[in-house]
Amino acid sequence: MSQRAADAVFQGLFSLTDIRSILRITAPTHELDEEQKKKVEKALASVEKQIAILRGELL
Amino acid sequence: MKCGACNVDARMRDETAINLDPIQVGGRLTPEAMKAMISWGDGYSVCDACKKPFRLDYIEQPPLKDFHVDMAEWLGMGQARTVPGARRGFQQVAGTYVEKGDPVLIGALAHYTSYLSVEIQQGIVREIPKTADNHITAEAAAERIEDVITEFGRPPKLLYIDHVDYQYGNMHDVKGIAKVAHQYDIPVLYNGVYTVGIMPVNGKDLGVDFIIGSGHKSMAAPAPSGILAATEERADEVFRTTQMEGDLTGRRFGIKEVGILGCSLMGAPIVGLLASFPTVKERVKHFDEELANSKIVIDALASIEGTKILSEMPRQHTLTRLDTTGSFDVVAQTHKKRGFFLSSALSKKGITGIIPGATKVWKINTYGMTRKQAEYVADTYLEIAETNGLTIQ
Repeated sequence: MSQRAADAVFQGLFSLTDIRSILRITAPTHELDEEQKKKVEKALASVEKQIAILRGELL
Repeated sequence: MKCGACNVDARMRDETAINLDPIQVGGRLTPEAMKAMISWGDGYSVCDACKKPFRLDYIEQPPLKDFHVDMAEWLGMGQARTVPGARRGFQQVAGTYVEKGDPVLIGALAHYTSYLSVEIQQGIVREIPKTADNHITAEAAAERIEDVITEFGRPPKLLYIDHVDYQYGNMHDVKGIAKVAHQYDIPVLYNGVYTVGIMPVNGKDLGVDFIIGSGHKSMAAPAPSGILAATEERADEVFRTTQMEGDLTGRRFGIKEVGILGCSLMGAPIVGLLASFPTVKERVKHFDEELANSKIVIDALASIEGTKILSEMPRQHTLTRLDTTGSFDVVAQTHKKRGFFLSSALSKKGITGIIPGATKVWKINTYGMTRKQAEYVADTYLEIAETNGLTIQ
């Protein structure tokens, strides 16, 4: 069992969900303010980190 | 885009557009509920840690037990249970009190499921008429109670009243109506489908016996989900437990509740309710901001010559009914797209949720918009009106 891989899948999906919620509150133009851009940056960094973990754990 | 290998399209309505659908906006999931769906979406997921006495509202992980207690307290009621949609709450209450031939009073602006919940018990509905300005009043309720007593020789078994009705989004005098009903010992069912989870609601202040809320309409939860709360005095009746015993096997069924056939709401719907609850409790405190956003949109629409706001003014809710027979429908008479011109123009600007083709009488709900989105919607309506030769007052 790789608990780390399972954690990474969920954390990655949660971070993508944070981006999804920003898409919703900025629809339809998706013009993000600085704070929203920072949140997206943070979420993307988290997703990239989880992908790296998954590569290490599963491949 | 499909949802994986299945034949179901990914739904992106709220990611790509501003949604004005009157029944959808209050039920959109919070990010917390979306995340909970990811990990708890499997059928009986919440039953992982179900222990004696094997009932949903006793489960401690996820914290459903605390959730039920907190929900009742938040609503100013004695006890609360989850139900698979408000209509099942109506059914549970009617199933407790109404028998064949019993009269039940229902406000004339009520949803059809209120009527059907009485019909399934073979009860008889008598309506409380609305006023000319589309309100249900305590005076009208009192008159109809007397009418029922004259007709049936006894008062109604129940009285249903919507705090905010689905047709006009008007607010009704629940407190006054409950006071009248209790003078005749009639239990009052408060329909909070458009209020619980949207604006502050307290059953004790309102003086009602039951509160019913909708998870998927107003509490940021998946369907089907809802809440039935009762005063402590009524809880033993509506949440009565089974006394049944199998005649051959002698089987008994613990403390399962009869009215909702045991455990009511499992998996995604209840976890969604649970996950959104902290946000929902907080958001009702900011309903004034929602009304301010609604005002921006409604003022813009009202400024288009020929448009009538059919709901009460000033608005007390974000659901509003409009009549644009004298404005957008005039355009529709000669437009090459006929009545579809309006929904088409809105769609091009990334606004959705209006019934395609509707240019006479229609409803919108601005709930959940940001200020920027409200201004965008208002500007878009004005732009469409001007483009099509309508006058802005």
